[in-house]
Amino acid sequence: MAPPDENVPTRKVKLNFGIAGASLTEIEREISADEPPPLPVNERLKLIGKPVTRWDGRQKVTGAARYPSDIQLAGMLYGSLVSATETHARIAVIDTSAAEKHPGVRAVHVVEKILESAELRDPTQEIPSKYPIVRYAGQPVAAVAAVTQAEAARLVEVTYEKKPFVVDLERAMAAGAPPVFPAAADQEGSAGGGGGPAGVLQTGNVRGPMKRSSSPEAESGIDRSFAACDVVVEGEFRTRVQTHSCLETHGALADWRVDGLTVYSSTQGTLGVRDELAAIFGIPKSRVRVLTEHMGGGFGSKFGAGNAGVIATHLSRKAGAPVRLFCTRKEEQWATGNRPDARMRLRVGAKKDGKLHAIHLVSHGTAGVGTGAGVGGPIHSLYDCPNVLSEEHDVFTNAGPGAAMRAPGHPQGCFALEQLMDELAAKLGIDVLDLMDRNDSHAARREERKIGTRLFEWSRRKPAGSDKGPVKRGLGVAQAVWYRFTNFDAACEVRIARDGSVEALSAVQDIGGGIKTVIAQIVAEELGLEPRQIDVKIGDTNNPPGPASGGSLTTGSITPAVREAAWKARNELVKHASTAMGLPAADVVLESGRVKGRLPGQKDVSFKQAAAMLATEQISAQAKRKPEYGERAGLRLGGVQFVETLVDTETGIVRPVRVVAVHDCGRPMNLLTLRNQVNGGVIQGLSYALYENRKLDRNTGIMVNPNLEQYKILGSRDVPDIQVHFIEEYIARSSTDASGIGEPSTIPTAAALANAVHNAIGVRIRELPMTPARVLAALGKVPAAKGGAA
Amino acid sequence: MPERLNLDGKDPKGAGVSRRSFLKGAGLTAAGATAAEATLLGAGLAASGPKTLGPGAVPIVLSVNGAARRIEVEPRTTLADALRTNLALTGTKVVCDRGSCSSCTVLLEGIPVNSCMTFALDVGAREITTIEGLAKGDALHAVQEGFIAADAMQCGFCTSGMVMSCAALLHRNPHPTRDEVNEAVSGNLCRCGTYPHVVDAVVHAAESGRGKGG
Amino acid sequence: MIPKLVWMDATTLAEAHAALDGSTMIKAGGIDVMDRLKEGLDRPARLLNIRNVAGLDTLRDDDTGLAVGPLVTLARLADQKVVRDRYRAIAEAAALAATPQIRNVATAGGNLLQRPRCWYFRNEQFPCFKKGGAECFAQEGENEYHAIFANDTCAAVHASSLAVALVAFNAAIDLAGPKGTRTVPLEGFFTAASVDVERENALALDEILTAIRVPRASFATASAYVKIAEKESEDWPLAEVAVVLDRQGPVAGRASIVLGSAAHTPLRSKAAEAVLTGKTVTEELAAAAGRAAVEGATPLSGNAYKIPIFETAVKRAILAAAGRKGGT
Repeated sequence: MAPPDENVPTRKVKLNFGIAGASLTEIEREISADEPPPLPVNERLKLIGKPVTRWDGRQKVTGAARYPSDIQLAGMLYGSLVSATETHARIAVIDTSAAEKHPGVRAVHVVEKILESAELRDPTQEIPSKYPIVRYAGQPVAAVAAVTQAEAARLVEVTYEKKPFVVDLERAMAAGAPPVFPAAADQEGSAGGGGGPAGVLQTGNVRGPMKRSSSPEAESGIDRSFAACDVVVEGEFRTRVQTHSCLETHGALADWRVDGLTVYSSTQGTLGVRDELAAIFGIPKSRVRVLTEHMGGGFGSKFGAGNAGVIATHLSRKAGAPVRLFCTRKEEQWATGNRPDARMRLRVGAKKDGKLHAIHLVSHGTAGVGTGAGVGGPIHSLYDCPNVLSEEHDVFTNAGPGAAMRAPGHPQGCFALEQLMDELAAKLGIDVLDLMDRNDSHAARREERKIGTRLFEWSRRKPAGSDKGPVKRGLGVAQAVWYRFTNFDAACEVRIARDGSVEALSAVQDIGGGIKTVIAQIVAEELGLEPRQIDVKIGDTNNPPGPASGGSLTTGSITPAVREAAWKARNELVKHASTAMGLPAADVVLESGRVKGRLPGQKDVSFKQAAAMLATEQISAQAKRKPEYGERAGLRLGGVQFVETLVDTETGIVRPVRVVAVHDCGRPMNLLTLRNQVNGGVIQGLSYALYENRKLDRNTGIMVNPNLEQYKILGSRDVPDIQVHFIEEYIARSSTDASGIGEPSTIPTAAALANAVHNAIGVRIRELPMTPARVLAALGKVPAAKGGAA
Repeated sequence: MPERLNLDGKDPKGAGVSRRSFLKGAGLTAAGATAAEATLLGAGLAASGPKTLGPGAVPIVLSVNGAARRIEVEPRTTLADALRTNLALTGTKVVCDRGSCSSCTVLLEGIPVNSCMTFALDVGAREITTIEGLAKGDALHAVQEGFIAADAMQCGFCTSGMVMSCAALLHRNPHPTRDEVNEAVSGNLCRCGTYPHVVDAVVHAAESGRGKGG
Repeated sequence: MIPKLVWMDATTLAEAHAALDGSTMIKAGGIDVMDRLKEGLDRPARLLNIRNVAGLDTLRDDDTGLAVGPLVTLARLADQKVVRDRYRAIAEAAALAATPQIRNVATAGGNLLQRPRCWYFRNEQFPCFKKGGAECFAQEGENEYHAIFANDTCAAVHASSLAVALVAFNAAIDLAGPKGTRTVPLEGFFTAASVDVERENALALDEILTAIRVPRASFATASAYVKIAEKESEDWPLAEVAVVLDRQGPVAGRASIVLGSAAHTPLRSKAAEAVLTGKTVTEELAAAAGRAAVEGATPLSGNAYKIPIFETAVKRAILAAAGRKGGT
């Protein structure tokens, strides 16, 4: 994060501030003198804030879009992984001789260092072994590059010495559990989150507690805080491991040449891949180029080169040829990341006026051989409460490492907190929205609750369990906040050529949110053109740096840089054109493809004609994200979601039928792509709530559903009616005032659905996914079987 | 008890399973037959048995987007691989490789099928339409235009399969209800969650009045 | 990765028979075959494509009943008017299976002969009984989708939804060997795990399924198929039931009630049938039949929840069939 530059001259400007249609006013800020002028509200803009169609839509609907896994280079070899078949083992022998003798094989690589897992704090404590210890079934062991995608990988013979393993959270927590690591281990976070602090106390497989408290009393006397409450609600909540299940698997096409390394990477952070490969292979960053024009989904798991990307590079260097290595679907499901599970013991206490007074969370979760299972975010950020204490624990298990997944920790924490808020409201005899009003001072959320109440007709809600008949209807609500993160390493270059063509360049990549389109809109707005007239070139580390797509920070981080570059380019163009046109520069406007004088009758030329007046073949303006306007503040974005569901009490099937999602994202930049994002977040949230569960066989530790058939993801016929509403919130923090939407849109959905289920059947489901088995068990309809429920 | 039909081959590494091999049948010792032996067997049967090809690459002609394309593929090659690797038509994606996500959907004689679950050699003379073959030059198919207008894609990796399913739907049902669209794409998985916009796109395409194609 | 194989294209049944031996795997629509090849469950030297064998894709309805060629696709079965009108449960079972893309290709014969979806069976890392190994991993493992009846050896459920409806209609199948054809009732064709755990049916090595025969449904017959699954979009059933009622007015004459996804074979519930026979179908009676259908279930540690679901599915299928006009 760049500190404000104290030597730059500043000026005072009035910026829009507040919520359009509710509290819009103006605020004065002191900003850099060379910042573009404040943007008016969306209503007065031509392209920004409008439903503009996707810039690369045509490429995607015609199959012309080339994803990294589509690229074919001359002489390209096909890489295949050899993955561990044991859950915990020491590798005794890796025999690659048969693979090396195979006529089609050009390179063999044995993995020397496993990435994306925790590492021993003291490496000398590691079990002596020539090869990395296998700590989960599916861990990459070796790889082969061959002329066809054949079965050469099967020729590598691996001999294992099995070790005791543990894959169950509770078993891993128990004293005497088989140790996943022989000593304490840490994992750094990735650009998108995940990982955890170093040096945390570790006992057996349990790291923690990692404590965070909001007050001295919370830190050392939270029970006193609860003693002072009039009403306390508590519960234990359980969520399960969710995998990202990106459609395009992890991997890369690596082309190692004498003059440098080019990598077509399916990544959500081109620069992160470049930097990682440069470091691992000891080559200058300037000799590494990462290209990601399109990519098929990341959801938080595609930061860095990944084991597949690094292995592809090793193979390419050894073979002297480009190597394409993308995970098979099984490898993808085994080893490329997941949202950790969670066991949350939460209690919430309030005074009788409904004001929260104490919140205490003790959580455990497993990120497999990684860390990052913390779920305390919501309790520290959603409501005003003087005494909040979270004690988070990571529990190692012999399973694939977790990775940041769309709002890490938050859907889990929200599932617990918002259900207890629902319960607390009932105990206090007030509406839960009223309870939220009493404890949430965010103006945006208050407005969202108001709007949602009206759109959803919340007044229809009946007492819990009061619906007649076997299929019962229920209404529920939950809300979420996320954080306004900014990555200041975000830049853009805008070029205008003498023929009138315009380019916008950045290393930023498009994870699917449509940043390409937003870039085109901003540049077109400044230049008075149509978005299609802007050639947007992203996903190339040869371009000015761009932020990784994570943390919902892409739009907020890069759009001011785009705007500034476009504005500077505009000014340069106007400087030349106005001279040629005989007008003062200040009198020239660019609109509807024209460059003209402000007043009627003044000179009026086309953009192309104006470009022809440039003194050089092309002009170029570059800009980097400037510091946020105003005093430093931890700002939030968020939303409120209302869910209406049916519950068939004879089959246990939960069928959501309607969702109203009201969100804020600063200045909405593109209503079409934004609504798509929120739909997507809601759908992922419902899928997480109802179906998704990475299952490991408890007796062997092997994943029994490493596919998209038995790992169940919501399909078209499971989608409810979703209505999305945005509030336009001007926060006066940058020259575009845009925020993000990816994560907040998926945080509260499971909680809202769970509250709706409770409203329908009068019984609270505290476990995800809310399968028919769980719902029927909660209704007391499952006869006892030998052993007990899975 | 009739002997069970079993398929033998090499004992897969590490599985520790002993597969029963069968030596019954028309006097053939085919159990554990190597590829070369199998070809000889095939040749020996030619007079009274079915046509035999492979296991090495064989030349075939596929009719793809209206053009006859000659390629050489092993019999085990799926249509998806033939399209993507041999013909560089990478618009068709392979995602789950098991027929459960339908990202690989192409049309065979206008019918949506999973190309990852189809052997290239099984196609024969049937006309294949891939995503690249839907537009006519610059003129997009109504569904493609609908997808753009309704923003029915995010990362775009499911888009080819979705578009093909929707194009086939519109051809057989020019005015589908929203439920019918959802039914038609019920096998198409979208991890980004674009389903509502996909339905909007098809409704848009149907209303454009060019339901039967561009 | 599919192993190298020889491709054989038969155009007549004789050609097909000439090629059948221990190293040859038959492929019709190829859906189950493709999955098994990709999972490494089968590594045949030769693949015998019978998709082009003449005469196997006919669908005929006459006085004797419905004759369905094995190559008739699930999509066609689901859409064919005579099947929808008079053998409704069969059309519904076909229509609700898998995905539209798979239904366009998967054949009726292949669907009946497909092997189980049990995730231990389908994973070559688990040497289970069904693959000649030494245990059933579902017994003490992840068994929420497994059988609740006759499950102590192998807990896999039979995968064919079509079989459930066909057994309820008392269908029979033609099995053509090189020396002649036998016709056997479909119900007995599927075999329990106790008979031979490594197989699901009595198809001989040299036989090809050449016809599915459904006895003519009278105008008093009504049928229904109910599938309960976690997802509405492409999902295997948790429970499925087909009911065929020969009615005399509001009274159930003969009742045929078959459970799918409950056991190693489609499972006829004589107990549930006995509850209905000769009685007027009411909500209470249907519920009683549902309870009878799950009597004696032996759930595993994780699938007792299927019991109330099957009770409900049986009840709803009975009411759906009873509520229909005759001849459906």
